[in-house]
Amino acid sequence: MSYDAIVAGGGHNGLVCAALLARAGRRVLVVERRERTGGILDGVVSTVGRLRPALVAELELERHGLELARPPIRMLALREGGAPVAFWADPGRTAEGLAAVSGADATAYPRFDAHVRVLARFLGELAEITPPRLDAGALGDWQAGLRLARAYRRLDSRSARELTRALPMAAADFVGEWFATDAVRAALAARGSLFTAMGPWSAGTTAVLLADSAGNDGGAAGQTAFATSGPAALAAAIESAATAAGATIRTRAEVARVLVRGGRVHGVALASGEEIEAPVVACGVDPKTVLTRWLDPEEAGPRLRWRAGNIRTPGATAVVDLRLSGPPAFSGVDDPQLLAGRIVVAPGIDHVERAFDCWKYGGLSERPYLEATISDGSMHVLAQWVPHDADPDAVGDLVVAELERHAPGIGSSVADRRVLTPALIERDFGLSGGHVYHAEPGLDQFFAWRPVLGLARYRLAVPGLYLCGSGAHPGGGVTGGPGQNAAREILAD
Amino acid sequence: MQERYDAIVIGGGHNGLVCAAYLARAGLRVVVLERRDVLGGAAVTEEIVPGFRFSVASYVVSLLRPEIVRDLELPRHGLAILPLDGTFTPLEGDHLWRLNDHGRTVRELRRWSLTDAEAYEEYGILMAQMARFIKPILSAVPGDQGRIRPAEWVSLAPLARRFAGLPRRQRDTFIQLMTMSAADFLDQWFETDPLKATMAASGIIGTFQGVRSPGTAYVLLHHYMGEIDGAFRAWGIPRGGTGGVSLAIASAARAQGAEIRTEAPVAAIDVRGGRAVGVTLRSGETIEADAVLSSADPRVTFLDLLEPGVLDGQFAADVRRYRFRGSSGKVNLALDGLPEFTCLPGRGEHLRGAISFSPSVDYMERAYDDAKYGRFSRRPYIDAIIPTLVDPAMAPPGKHVMSCFVQYAPYHLADGGAWDDAHRQAFRDTVVDTLAERAPNIRDLIVGEQVLSPLDIEQRIGLSEGNIFQGELSLEQLFFNRPVPGWARYRTPVHGLWMCGSAAHPGGGLMGAPGRIAALEHLRSRSSR
Repeated sequence: MSYDAIVAGGGHNGLVCAALLARAGRRVLVVERRERTGGILDGVVSTVGRLRPALVAELELERHGLELARPPIRMLALREGGAPVAFWADPGRTAEGLAAVSGADATAYPRFDAHVRVLARFLGELAEITPPRLDAGALGDWQAGLRLARAYRRLDSRSARELTRALPMAAADFVGEWFATDAVRAALAARGSLFTAMGPWSAGTTAVLLADSAGNDGGAAGQTAFATSGPAALAAAIESAATAAGATIRTRAEVARVLVRGGRVHGVALASGEEIEAPVVACGVDPKTVLTRWLDPEEAGPRLRWRAGNIRTPGATAVVDLRLSGPPAFSGVDDPQLLAGRIVVAPGIDHVERAFDCWKYGGLSERPYLEATISDGSMHVLAQWVPHDADPDAVGDLVVAELERHAPGIGSSVADRRVLTPALIERDFGLSGGHVYHAEPGLDQFFAWRPVLGLARYRLAVPGLYLCGSGAHPGGGVTGGPGQNAAREILAD
Repeated sequence: MQERYDAIVIGGGHNGLVCAAYLARAGLRVVVLERRDVLGGAAVTEEIVPGFRFSVASYVVSLLRPEIVRDLELPRHGLAILPLDGTFTPLEGDHLWRLNDHGRTVRELRRWSLTDAEAYEEYGILMAQMARFIKPILSAVPGDQGRIRPAEWVSLAPLARRFAGLPRRQRDTFIQLMTMSAADFLDQWFETDPLKATMAASGIIGTFQGVRSPGTAYVLLHHYMGEIDGAFRAWGIPRGGTGGVSLAIASAARAQGAEIRTEAPVAAIDVRGGRAVGVTLRSGETIEADAVLSSADPRVTFLDLLEPGVLDGQFAADVRRYRFRGSSGKVNLALDGLPEFTCLPGRGEHLRGAISFSPSVDYMERAYDDAKYGRFSRRPYIDAIIPTLVDPAMAPPGKHVMSCFVQYAPYHLADGGAWDDAHRQAFRDTVVDTLAERAPNIRDLIVGEQVLSPLDIEQRIGLSEGNIFQGELSLEQLFFNRPVPGWARYRTPVHGLWMCGSAAHPGGGLMGAPGRIAALEHLRSRSSR
């Protein structure tokens, strides 16, 4: 059996790419190193709020078993020595609650929410296009430019100016211009730091924040959505869509090399030694892996290898799963509905920044910034910032200790726990540096220069080789965007 | 005496003076009004200790635009730039010393790392290429990115075209320089910690950012821009201190017919019918003019000098959110002799350049961390120079002055603290302790001193929050967002009122560009009237 395309890496983006190629009539093989597809959906992330609605429709994911639940509460920000602040899908309701914290912040919130939506809408449109070429031959690329200009034109002139100002800003500054209360600022800004190696005072975290709200009705609080039978159900649905369209999935099939013959991609060689031929190889794995490990150094050339080696992949997020023997009791939370969304421990801007500071010098903060969700008697916690080689038990203990401050007694109800440090994420999920977003979403690895300038259009170095994972525009998060955009470019070629 | 001028320039700093000189050169009747009794603003030389003359604030000249030097014939008016050779980084038991002599620097770097010595050359060439690419931006007039019409984007068009034409490597580097942190950028090139720290230090001068903060890489270029200005030496110490630059510009302005008044503090900009028609001095004197160009920062210009209500609420709010956040202080020392560094004794050439207390990237970053939480750095970054080694006239024979630029010293202190005498003294002691750690004899040499906290810089020089660039040079406050989005073209919502200071594009530094471009824009608008 020969294939038109091999998708290397069966994470959500790889599966999306495979499904779209298969639906366009290509014979597609997905090779996945692990025993299951799904990548980070299989144990790293718990929510899927950023998934592109258009993709759900196009792949008929609901028909393939996907069921999404969006709780009315988006985020619950725990505070020290005060009632938690609830951020609802309805900004008016959020404002009502904020009134107890600060009248000024309550007034500001709906306007801020609208502001975020306007800017995020532009980023949503940006996410859908293939970044334009930025070299002298770029004239042939007028379509991307035109689409970009059209999206920009839809902004009113004040918003257009604010957009150029907001993108490179530190999230702490961005929210600081709207809100007076530290707890409110931190709760809203912290999202710009999630999965990154940037504290809220780092320039460019506003871009991360806005991208997180792009194309998903996220607004100021960010979207919160769950696949009802767990995140893996999303992977299963995309896989089902892919196989229904004729794609073949092979798990426990680890790629070792990309085969190149006569300057063109020729297929992949598996770690087992088996070679599989195809004129197109789309990589759902991170770009550093592809360019520095899979591709023959002679094909890549020293210059590209140097650049690829410099792609920044500072993984700094740990995952702590806690199986609880009983429902946790959080101080000041009487309504269980409040715990149905993301539960955030980011009580102050400086508090979050200090956690980041520790990490800068290779340490682990005593007071990490946490984002947690609860489902089926388990608590799923993302913790920042955690050094690559941190001791998993120490991380687990710290996270439980931090939760204990807000939910006294939770520690004794932990029946079982599982900790993934960046090193373990790297090992188990094959992500360079353990970076969940494949490459740091800094301003230097953004849009037309993600992962590096010249390789942002999903085509990598050798004809036939493509990048369809989060290391490509529009980047990380469970959006399906890189997979969808890459499939479009592959089909166009 | 009621005179009518074509233009009033508020502030006799270097930008105000440049602006006035260009206006006068075009035949306008111009008066410059300076609050203090000395000209120069932050580029000022004063005899603080009898016999010792200090460049009080700004201490080196780096980017003074060559076209200004040429147009205003500044050398004829007394401008002379003396070479500042090399950067010396004292360390515990060792040192890192880079010189303008490339061969010697490479030999020195080999002592640290062979790969770094090799990379240094390539890095230098690439940086010079980038500096050449970026230079025209310093003379460009930003458009309004809020409008789609082509006229707003023409200033970017040549840049975009040139960018597209660059070799891929330079395109790549340009994007990195605009977006990365200085530390991340340098990490790609070098492994020697003190080398990276000392180079990265130039990226954070005057900003409230750390060497690991995204957006700080760009300033690494400034050093190279100075070097490529060619025949005229643009990196060094002006004879007579930085005040010497201001005085040369003032002399050029006067020669063109501009009038310059000191001790003439402006109390208000007078606005009639939505037009700036002149100013009222604190003395009560009013001066009328067709136009007022303010080189004061936006907070002073719009919030202090204009009547409330003149500006629409949105613009005023945008001015209020414009970030200053002064982050640096200055300690000027009068010395009885030369400091002796334990790691390299003797009064050799290493004292003739910049002496950089920047031993490691983490040291630099920790200095920033202190400031983030509202205290001055316990272990500060210090950029020191001893101008008397190249300009002996700044002190009595055998004596020296030492200028120490210190970062970080945040304007806003934690827990409601204020920059009172106790804080200033503690800050001074920290700086002297840091110096003495590497040059123990310094304590015994100090015969006089001047300590400037950011609050002192605000009160003495008139820069809001002590920000030496009249506002953070962070990415969101550059080009078409400087100082207020939509108002980056030196004009303001008040007809006839213009901005010509460092708060306008291309920003701060002893560059003169904002003053020059503002003058040219103003002249263009007059001729098209």
